Amino acid sequence: MKISLNWLKNYVNFDVSPELLAEKLTNAGLEVESIEYLNKKYENFIIGKILKVDKHPNADKLTICKVDIGNKNINVVCGAPNVSENQFVVVGLPGAIVARNQHDIEAKPFTLKKTSIRGIESDGMICSEYELDLGEDKSGILVLENNGLKPGITLNEYLGLNDVVFEIGITPNRPDCLSHLGIAREISAIFHLKLKKPKLDLKESRELITFATKVFVDDLDKCPRYTARIIKDVEVKPSPKWLQNYLNAVGIRPINNIVDITNFVLMELGHPLHAFDYDKLKDNTIRVRVAKDGEHFITLDGKGRELKEGMLLICDAEKPVAIAGVMGGINSEITENTKNILLESAYFLPQSIRRTSKLLGLSTDASQRFERGADPNITKFAINRAAQLIQQVTNAKVLLGYIDIYPKPIQPKKINLDTDRVNSTLGTNLTYYPIKNLLKKIDIRLIKRNKSKMLFEIPTFRPDIEREIDLIEEIARLYGYDNIEIKMRSLIKFKEQPVYKDIDDEIRNYLVGRGFNEIITNSLMSKELAGLSKDDYVEILNPISRDMSAMRTSLIPSVLNVVRNNIYHQSKNLNLFEIGKVYFKDSSIAKGPNTIAGFREEKRLILAKTGISEYPHWSKQEFPSDIYDLKGEVEDLFVMFSLDKYKFISYTIDRTLTELTLYIMYQNVEFGYIGKVKKEILKLFDIEQNVFVADINLDILKSFVNYNRKYIPLPMYPMVIRDLAFIVDRAIPVEELLQTIKYSAGNLLKSVDLFDIYTGDRISADKKSCAFALQFQSEERTLTDEEVALIIDNIIKVMNDKHNATLRK
Amino acid sequence: MLEKIKEIEAKIEQDILNIKNSEDLENFRLKYLSRKGIISELYDSIKSISIEERPSIGKKINELKAYCQQVYAEKKKILEEFSEKKSEQIDLSLPGRRKWLGSLHPLTQTLKEIKLIFQRMGFDVADGPEIEEDYYNFEALNFPPEHPARDMQDTFFISDKVLLRTHTSPVQIRVMERTTPPVRVIIPGRVYRNEAISARSYCLFHQVEGLYVDTGVTFSELKGTLVSFAKQFFGSSLKYRFRPSFFPFTEPSAEMDITCFLCDGKGCRVCKQTGWLEILGCGMVDPNVYKYVGYDSEKYTGYAFGMGIERISMLRYGIDDIRILFDNDIRFLKQF
Ligand SMILES: [Zn+2]
Repeated sequence: MKISLNWLKNYVNFDVSPELLAEKLTNAGLEVESIEYLNKKYENFIIGKILKVDKHPNADKLTICKVDIGNKNINVVCGAPNVSENQFVVVGLPGAIVARNQHDIEAKPFTLKKTSIRGIESDGMICSEYELDLGEDKSGILVLENNGLKPGITLNEYLGLNDVVFEIGITPNRPDCLSHLGIAREISAIFHLKLKKPKLDLKESRELITFATKVFVDDLDKCPRYTARIIKDVEVKPSPKWLQNYLNAVGIRPINNIVDITNFVLMELGHPLHAFDYDKLKDNTIRVRVAKDGEHFITLDGKGRELKEGMLLICDAEKPVAIAGVMGGINSEITENTKNILLESAYFLPQSIRRTSKLLGLSTDASQRFERGADPNITKFAINRAAQLIQQVTNAKVLLGYIDIYPKPIQPKKINLDTDRVNSTLGTNLTYYPIKNLLKKIDIRLIKRNKSKMLFEIPTFRPDIEREIDLIEEIARLYGYDNIEIKMRSLIKFKEQPVYKDIDDEIRNYLVGRGFNEIITNSLMSKELAGLSKDDYVEILNPISRDMSAMRTSLIPSVLNVVRNNIYHQSKNLNLFEIGKVYFKDSSIAKGPNTIAGFREEKRLILAKTGISEYPHWSKQEFPSDIYDLKGEVEDLFVMFSLDKYKFISYTIDRTLTELTLYIMYQNVEFGYIGKVKKEILKLFDIEQNVFVADINLDILKSFVNYNRKYIPLPMYPMVIRDLAFIVDRAIPVEELLQTIKYSAGNLLKSVDLFDIYTGDRISADKKSCAFALQFQSEERTLTDEEVALIIDNIIKVMNDKHNATLRK
Repeated sequence: MLEKIKEIEAKIEQDILNIKNSEDLENFRLKYLSRKGIISELYDSIKSISIEERPSIGKKINELKAYCQQVYAEKKKILEEFSEKKSEQIDLSLPGRRKWLGSLHPLTQTLKEIKLIFQRMGFDVADGPEIEEDYYNFEALNFPPEHPARDMQDTFFISDKVLLRTHTSPVQIRVMERTTPPVRVIIPGRVYRNEAISARSYCLFHQVEGLYVDTGVTFSELKGTLVSFAKQFFGSSLKYRFRPSFFPFTEPSAEMDITCFLCDGKGCRVCKQTGWLEILGCGMVDPNVYKYVGYDSEKYTGYAFGMGIERISMLRYGIDDIRILFDNDIRFLKQF
């Protein structure tokens, strides 16, 4: 909210720099987000009176003007056709920044210098309204109306721009600070100054209000108080300058004196008022009632509104004339022709206003204040203040008396406070006396005290203070958070649970060591991408955009997006990983301590590799990445976690996003897969190179991880190593050969590894040669060559029987 | 004669050291080992001594000759090896054999450090779902339905009562529901805000939430904990301030600022000329929250705090556009 420094000074007399004020307000919880000096724009512009106009000796179209600028007379060379003696004009002096250069196509600003024009010195420049950015007229200089103007005042003074405006972020709990008086109250508390409320001086006519109108409130729950006054014989016209200046400073556009005064009171006291054209109210009556479904109404902004059951309306004898607390109607608007007005100052139930405002999608200065909670007991003061100003500005007739429907007055709350509670919450040592004094500064008064127990009365402009803890907050705020000393108890507690191991972090560290770069991506994506994996995706009801209207069901599109962007920047060799969540609709999920009924979240790890396999080196040949790169990464990752019983299984059916897919199994649970992203998927991302991914469910992996390591004694007898190469049909998977070797070798075989595969000229075309390294060892004795030879013979025989394998010599 | 042999031996020792190349080596051979060399001359001069002395002198000359031949051979070998190496031409300026270099995302690095600091203070780590019920995200945190405070956080809705959590605070409720005090946890996690994407805001970000509920927990201790954190994270010389703010689930509420380390508190673009940087929000847990989780607010007090990992990372690394954190440009990632 914008707050004007000049305006504030009507209510509290302080003399500190705007910067210090901003700091103090911020420390009191009213965060000053910016300070704007309104006079920056028109520095070095002054109002002058033209005393004499002479022809320029060297130019026909120019004149030399003698101008009185208060403390002296200056000479200004002027080219405007409309210049003449006794005019009041705006003179820019050297150093002034002229907002728009009317001789420049782009109308750029420029700084004035003392110059000589055709041999005559000019001490300044008389400006047009276009040059000053005050209007569009370029045809001549701006001539000001002479109503008591004195030469020498600055343009800033003339325009009311000698002001400083603070942008203050008011938290939703402080409706009392949505006004200048509210902020002034805080300032008076901060600097220990007296708060001066505006003085009322209202002269009522003899005509009684009771004969002029009738007010009925049908719904006293939603409208606990309705106050009205009638003012006759108003003259609707532009507001006086002081009023316009105030409103302009806080960013409210002046409209006419009546509307401006209601806005002024709103910004002064924080209470929204509404003015109706009295003569447009049928039977001069007001009825406050709730709307019926489907009622129609045109608000002041000219928009038709479909009303919903329960919205509170202000009506006349037959039709709605305003949506209560939100916006008035075009049918009772104040216009130039308005003669008599009915002023409304009411208190509406916050929840009701909020609901209406939300349903209509219409938020106004008034609705914002009512929904945060206005002061029910200020309505009379506010209406009298407005009536007085209207009277002052238009010489109107304020009818005698006012209507005030307030059957159940809202009383100030009384709240108990225990000083012990204050100190045990804040860690302070405050006694009752400073507490009492702190709260008194913001009109919270002590009513009773019994030792540490105190009873306070809370003014009704503070709806946020409802409980003891709210009072404690006010005490802390006024005492100053920075004055609360730090006192620490020891935070050490000796725990009994085993040390928490963050497996995610272990995986991250491991993968970074393996040369992978961690990425963090958006979990929102388009429905098309979320739907690619054929899972039931979660949709956003109110997305920012179409491409973020669903939750991801796979990390693959996320990672492909990153691959695309990097390839675009010529980074084509990528090793990426992300640990992130995917989200599904899943009716099998019930509500639990960490679950929401109907939704499933899974934490997954994705590895992605594209481009060349290994870091290039002049001594090595470059190979493109392939599926074995990621298979190896996954195997090593499992070794790190001591998972040795995993299996890779390839089905003929591929996933929707990948082909050549290898499923990762552990104890018959499938918890991930490795694959090559399909061409048609890559196409969606304009990627032309192969991308390989491994996608692992971390929640399941975590449940398999075993941190218990047990020592196995090292072998005491030597190892015997034998190499065997078999020629087999190409179609036979190596995994099957390995299984056969293990099975036929018995338990003296400690390990078997494939170390070479050959296809080519030296064997027939449908065959391949697979070479294995076998290691034999006994825990009890040194193996003899004969023993090993027997085992080898058996392996060769079984391999031959089972796979038609022949030994390659 | 014996003395002469000794002299020659010393001379050989000296000469062999001065051999630098094959030319020197050949001169050495000619000088000592050739047919007209010094050692041959010695053999010739043997005739001039007495017959009794001849065998012992002859033996000495033989030893000298053997010695001379040995050092000659050694030197020859060294020179040959040297010239061989020279011909191999090993260029040690060629690049070494390197691997791909991995990196942790800067957000992870920031979070890791924050976690480490709080874990050292005795905080456990907890987490919860991102798709959350209105009840946990708002209601149990003292945001009543139809309350203007809900407008502070623009929310993505999944259905009427289900949404994407707007802060990590719902996990506070979940943790308190299943734990009796003392509770001391930090809760890192991803949160969502329905805001237009710009340099300053993204549709999601990451928070670390903290919660401590026990008997005798005070605002004073909250300050102490967070000051300790800030000093460990930003440096021990930092200046700070706490100023009142508003969060529905804490009372009193505060925001913690530290002096802007980019301008030393003088005012710059990043701190919006104020000299202060806001780093976190905090406060004492509102007694209304205890009602929802069945804690006795007469017995227990507690504090909560929350900070944005993106914001803190951006301040720390001098990043001025939040979107670059989610672009994952490898040239960016490799800087960390
Ligand atoms: Zn700064």
